[in-house]
Amino acid sequence: MRPFAYERPETIDQALSMLSADGDATRPLAGGTDLLTLIKGEIVEPDLLVDIKRLDGLSDRIEPGPDGTRIGALVTLTQLETDPHIMQTYGALAQAAGKAATPQLRNMATIGGNVLQRPRCWYYRESEIPCWLKGGDTCPARDGQNAYHAIFDESPCVAVHPSDSAAALIALGATVHLRGSDGDRSLPLAELMSPPTEDRRRETTLRPGELITGYTLPPTYGKSVYLKAMDRKAWAFALVGVAAHVTVANGAISDVRLVLGGVANVPRRATAAENLLRGKSPSDDLFRQAAEVALEGATPLKHNAYKIDLTRALIQRALSQATA
Amino acid sequence: MTTPDKAPASPRVPVTLRVNGSDHHLLVEPRHTLLDTLREDLRLTGTKKVCDMGNCGACTVHQDGHSVYSCLTLAVEANGSEVRTVEGLADAGELDPVQEAFIRADAFQCGFCTPGQLMSLRALLDARPDPTDEEIAKAVTGNLCRCGAYHNIMKAGRLAAEIQAERRATGNGPTAGMEAAE
Amino acid sequence: MTATMDISLDEDGKLQLEEHEGVGAWPKDRRFTSVGQGAHRLEGLEKVTGKAQYTYDVRLPGQLEARVLRSPHPHARILSIDTSAAEALPGVHAVLHHGNTEPIEWYNGSFVFDPTLRMVGDEVAAVAADSGDIAEDAIRLIRVEYEVLPHVTYFEDALRPDAPHVREGGNLTDEPTVYDRGDADAALQRAHVVVDRKFTTQCAIHNSLEPHGSTASWDGDDLTLWSSTQSVFTIREQVAEALGTSEHRVRVIKHHMGGGFGAKQVAWKNDVIAPLLAKRTGRPVQLMLDREAESLAAGNRPATWQHVRFGADRDGKLVAVWADIHIDAGAYQVGGEASNVSGMYQSLYKCDNVHTEARNIYTNTGPAVAFRAPGHVEAAWAIEQTMDELARKLGLDPVEFRRRNYSEVDQLEGKPYSLPEGLSLSYDKVTEAFGWNTEGRERGAGSKRRGLGFAAHDWIAGSGSPPAYAWAKLNPDGGLDIITGTQDIGTGTRTGLGQIGAEELGIDLADVSVQLGDTALGPYSPVSSGSSTLASIGPAVRGAVNDVREQLLRLAATKMEVAADRLTIADGRISVADGGGESLSIAEVMADVAPANLMGKGVRGPNPDDVAIRTFGAQCVEVEVDTDTGEVTVLRVATAHDIGRIVNPTLVDSQIWGGITQGVGFALHEERVVDDRLGRILNANLEEYHVPTIVDIPEMTHAHVGVPDTRANITGAKGVGEPPLIPTAPAIANAIYDAVGIRVENAPISRQRMLTLLREQTTTTNGNGVTA
Repeated sequence: MRPFAYERPETIDQALSMLSADGDATRPLAGGTDLLTLIKGEIVEPDLLVDIKRLDGLSDRIEPGPDGTRIGALVTLTQLETDPHIMQTYGALAQAAGKAATPQLRNMATIGGNVLQRPRCWYYRESEIPCWLKGGDTCPARDGQNAYHAIFDESPCVAVHPSDSAAALIALGATVHLRGSDGDRSLPLAELMSPPTEDRRRETTLRPGELITGYTLPPTYGKSVYLKAMDRKAWAFALVGVAAHVTVANGAISDVRLVLGGVANVPRRATAAENLLRGKSPSDDLFRQAAEVALEGATPLKHNAYKIDLTRALIQRALSQATA
Repeated sequence: MTTPDKAPASPRVPVTLRVNGSDHHLLVEPRHTLLDTLREDLRLTGTKKVCDMGNCGACTVHQDGHSVYSCLTLAVEANGSEVRTVEGLADAGELDPVQEAFIRADAFQCGFCTPGQLMSLRALLDARPDPTDEEIAKAVTGNLCRCGAYHNIMKAGRLAAEIQAERRATGNGPTAGMEAAE
Repeated sequence: MTATMDISLDEDGKLQLEEHEGVGAWPKDRRFTSVGQGAHRLEGLEKVTGKAQYTYDVRLPGQLEARVLRSPHPHARILSIDTSAAEALPGVHAVLHHGNTEPIEWYNGSFVFDPTLRMVGDEVAAVAADSGDIAEDAIRLIRVEYEVLPHVTYFEDALRPDAPHVREGGNLTDEPTVYDRGDADAALQRAHVVVDRKFTTQCAIHNSLEPHGSTASWDGDDLTLWSSTQSVFTIREQVAEALGTSEHRVRVIKHHMGGGFGAKQVAWKNDVIAPLLAKRTGRPVQLMLDREAESLAAGNRPATWQHVRFGADRDGKLVAVWADIHIDAGAYQVGGEASNVSGMYQSLYKCDNVHTEARNIYTNTGPAVAFRAPGHVEAAWAIEQTMDELARKLGLDPVEFRRRNYSEVDQLEGKPYSLPEGLSLSYDKVTEAFGWNTEGRERGAGSKRRGLGFAAHDWIAGSGSPPAYAWAKLNPDGGLDIITGTQDIGTGTRTGLGQIGAEELGIDLADVSVQLGDTALGPYSPVSSGSSTLASIGPAVRGAVNDVREQLLRLAATKMEVAADRLTIADGRISVADGGGESLSIAEVMADVAPANLMGKGVRGPNPDDVAIRTFGAQCVEVEVDTDTGEVTVLRVATAHDIGRIVNPTLVDSQIWGGITQGVGFALHEERVVDDRLGRILNANLEEYHVPTIVDIPEMTHAHVGVPDTRANITGAKGVGEPPLIPTAPAIANAIYDAVGIRVENAPISRQRMLTLLREQTTTTNGNGVTA
C-alpha cells in the first residue's frame, strides 16, 4: 500500500471535520474490508484514514422501537446475521448478511460501509485499466468479459453493486441516516443508491465528508426472504440476488417490495412487478408473470444473458417463499 | 489510478498490541497491516500470507475474541487489542483440542492454510462448544484449502468438539495422550 | 546382502541401471507392523503449532525483501528504463534489470531480465529493500518506456495467418506430434456408431497457497537457497548453471511447502533473482511472488481444444480413436513434466486404429506447466464423455462398454501391464462401493434433476523410477535416521518413508526420524512429480534400512552366538526365529559399537523391462442439476484406484479427497479469464478465480483395490497423488448428461454455461428436457 496517515478521533464531530477537509484524499475507515482492498489495488490513494470504529456517537447497536428498528452504522454483518430480532422480523436482512462473504469478513464489515462498497468489476479493480468509472472514456466491460455484469443498462458503466444487504434493506423499506458538517439528513436508502452519472462516477449520492450513521427499518407484518446465486456454494459475490418482502392479508398481497441485486449498477427495485402483484392472491402463475414484468427492459451483454433466466427463477422462488 | 511520484513513507506511530498474552510496544507505519506486523515485526510466522486481499483466510487471527483477516486489518487499528494467533493456541505444551483434532483427523496436507483453519474453528468452539456439521462447515467457509483437506477438516471439527467436551468433563486435564511432547 | 546399483551408459548413450542383489518384494504372508497403518503425519505437530518453517517463513539476520516490476503489456520491448528515483529511495539496496545485469539465459531463448516482454507479468526489474513496503514504493518509482508490440491472447487465434508471432518462427512450439496405430480414418468409415465432437478445457491456475519464492543467502561463494520447490536437486542444478557456479557451491533447502501441484518442479526466475539481489547487496534476500504474479507468471494448466472422433462396431468394440489436439503453451516452454494430452487416447482402451495429432501453440499469456496429472485431466474430459456417448448410442451400460474394450497390455510397447487386472478391479470395487445402478437410479423431482456418471483413467508415472538414493543411520539407542534428498510437498512423504523404514527394520515409527529437503544433507532424489515419490524413494529406503539391518544382525549373531540368518527383529528386539526365547534389544546389540552408528545405503533399482507399469482407476458420481437456476451440486463420488500396496491408508485417503476436490473445482468453476484486447488476466486473484470451499465438496468414498503391485517395485506401492483428479470432471459431465440430457463440451460447467445450455435445450426441444 502507498503511505497514508491515520487518525482515530474521539467524537463524530471531530471525525466530520477531518473528513470534510479535502474530498477523496481523506477516507473514513470502519470495517476496512473494501477500502483496504481498494488501496492495495491502487484504485484509491488517500492521504489520511479516519478511523470511525470507536467513535462516540456512532452506534454499533440494533435497537427495536415502536416506530421501527434502528440499526447503527457500526453494526457488523455478523450482528445482523445472528440477532434474534432481525432474524425474526427482517428475515431478508439476516439472510443477506449471512450469505455475504465469510465469518471473518462479517465480523469486520459494518452495515454502514457495506452499502458504500465499490463494484467488484474486474476492469474497475485493475489499476492499469482506465475504465469510465475511474474517470476514463469508456467502459471496457461492455464489449469485454462481462459474464458478471449488469443486464439493465443504467449508465455508461455496466458494473453491478456487490452488496447483498443493500438489496434486503431496500426491500425492507430502510431509511438511511446521514450526518455531514452541514447537519443531519435522512432519506430512503433507495434514493441514496443511484447509478453513476457523468459528473458523479460513484453509486451513491452521499455528499463529500458525509457519514452514514445508521438505518431505520419500519415495522413490518410481512415476511421477507433473500436468495442468492453464486458461482460456487459460498464466498462469492452474487451473480443474482433477489430480496422479496411481502405482506399477505385476507388471501391477497397487500404490500410487496421486490429488489434485484447483481443485475444493475445499484439494487434495482422491480416496481412494475410490485404493481402487478399488489392486490392479487399468491400463485405460481402470478409469480411467473411478475418475474417476466420485472425483467422487461433488460438488455443483456454478450456473456450474461444467463442472468435473465437466473433472475426469473430466483424471483419466483423468493416470492413463493415469502408468501409460504 | 496511479500517481507514482507521491512522497513515500509516512511517520510511524506507536502501537500497543497484546499478542498471545504478551504486550508489544511497536512503532509502525499506518499502512502496515496486522499480518505484516505479526510476521515481520514480531516474527510470528505461523500466520500465513497468501492473497493479502481478504480472499483466502490464511491470515485469520482473533482480535478481541473475533476471528478476522489480519491482512485487511491495520496494525494501528488494532492498537490496544488483544490478538491471538496460532502460536497462542497450545497451552504450556498441551495442544488445543482443535490442534489435536487436526493431527488425528489428518486435516491438512501442505499445512499452509492450517493456522487459519485452526483459528476459525477455535472461534467457533469458543461460541458453540457443541456445533452442528453445518456450523462447522460455515465456520471455515472463509478458509480456502487448495490441497482439498476439507473432508478431514469437517472430521476434525467434530473431533475437536469431542476432545474439548472430554477435557472439560475431566477438569481440563490432557485426555487422549496426544503426542504434544514428542 | 546389500542392494547396490551401477549406472552406466549403453552404446546409444542411454542411462543403464543395473541392480545387484537387491532386496526382494515383501512376501505375501508377511505380517506388517508399520506399513499399512494410518500413522499420523510426522510433521503434524509443527504444522498445527505454526512452527513449520516454509520458504516464506525464513527470517535471517539482515534479510531484505524483494519485489518485482512486471510487464503491463502482453508483448512489448523495453526502450528505456530509469531506476534513479527508486535507487535513491532510503532503504532500497539494489535494483536489477536488463540494463545492469549480465544476461542469463532462461526458458527458450529468453533471458532472466529480457528487454523483450512476451506476456503481462514478465519480469522487468527487481528491487531489494529493507521492507516489502519500501520495495513496493521503489517499484512505483521506476520509469519504463515501452514499445508496445502486437499480441495474441487466445490459442484459437494464434495459428491464423495474420496472427502476431510470440517469437520468431511462428506460434507452433514444434512440429505437430503425430501418432498412428492401424488406420483410424478407414475404421471410422466402417464403424457402426461414431461420435464426432469438439471439446475444450479451460486454463486453470494451480493457486498453491504458498506462492513460488526463494530466500537466498551467500557466505562467500557459497549460496544457500530456500526455495518453495518440488525438486531441490533440480533447482540446485539449474541455479548453479544460471549463476555460473558449481553445484557444490549451492545448497537448496525446502523443509515445508505450501502446495505445488506440479508448478514448482523447475526453477523459476525467483530462484535466480533472489541470489542475484543477495549477491549485489551482500545481504540475505527473500523474494516471494504475490498472488497476482502467481496467477500471471508461475504456470498454469493449459487450455485445450480437442476434436474427437471415436467409432465402435455393433458389438460395442471400439474400432477407431481419432483426435486432433491443440494446447495453449503460453509465452514460454518452461520444462518439467510434459502435458501429454495424447497419451490416454493411445492407451486407456483397447483399439487397433488410433490417430492422434497434437499441436502446442504459443500465445502472449502465462506459460503452461505441469498441473496435477498434466494432459490426462484435459484428455479425460473429452475421452470419457465420448465413451459415455458411445455407450449410450450402443445401448450399453457405460461400465460394460468399457469392459468390452479392455486392454491387458500397453498397446504402444506391446508389453503386459504389471497388474493387468488393475483397471478391471477398479471397475468392480468402485461400482460396488457406489451402488452403481443406472436402472434404479433416483431421478429427482421438479427442477432438481439427478443423474449418475462414470469415468475411468490411466496414469503413467505412479510407478516411480531410478535413480534415487537413501541412507539409513542406526543409532546406538536403537533409533533410526533415514536421510534422502527428496522432499515432502505435503503428500506425507516423510511419514510414508518412515513407515517403510520402521517396517524394514522391525521397529516402531516413533523411533524413526526422516530427514529430507536439503541438497547438502541427503543423497540425490528426483523431482516429486508424477505421483512417483513414494515408489521412487521407498525402495531406496528399504535398501538402506536393509543394509543396516544386515549389519545389525551380524553383530547380534556374534553376540548371541547363533547364525545371523536365524535371527529376526520385531518390536525393536532381536530374537532367534525358531524359538529359544533369547532376545536382545537393538540398543543392547548396538552398545558394542556405541557411540558410532551403523550406516546403510540404498538405491532405487530399475523398473522391470518386461512389463508396463500404470496406475488405473475409475469413479462414479451422482449430481443434482437445478434446471431453473443452473446450479450443479455434486452429491457423492466413489473412487477406486489401482495404486498397489497402501503404505498409509489415512494419507492415501487425504490425497484422494484432495484430488476429487480439485476435480470438482475444475469441473464447475475454476477458469482463468483473459481479456484478449488487453492480453490481461482479469481474475489473477482468489476472489474471482473460484477454487472450491468446504461447502462445495461431495460425500466421498474410497474403495480400496488393495492389491500390491509387486512387479512394479519392492514396496508394491504406486503413487496416488494425481490419479483421483483425472476422472472427476468427465464423470460429473456424464452425470449431468444423465440428469438433464445435455452434453457439456466446454469446461468448466459454470452457471453461465449450464444456464445457457439449458436455455438452448428448451428452445430446441420444447422443454421436454431430453434431446434426441
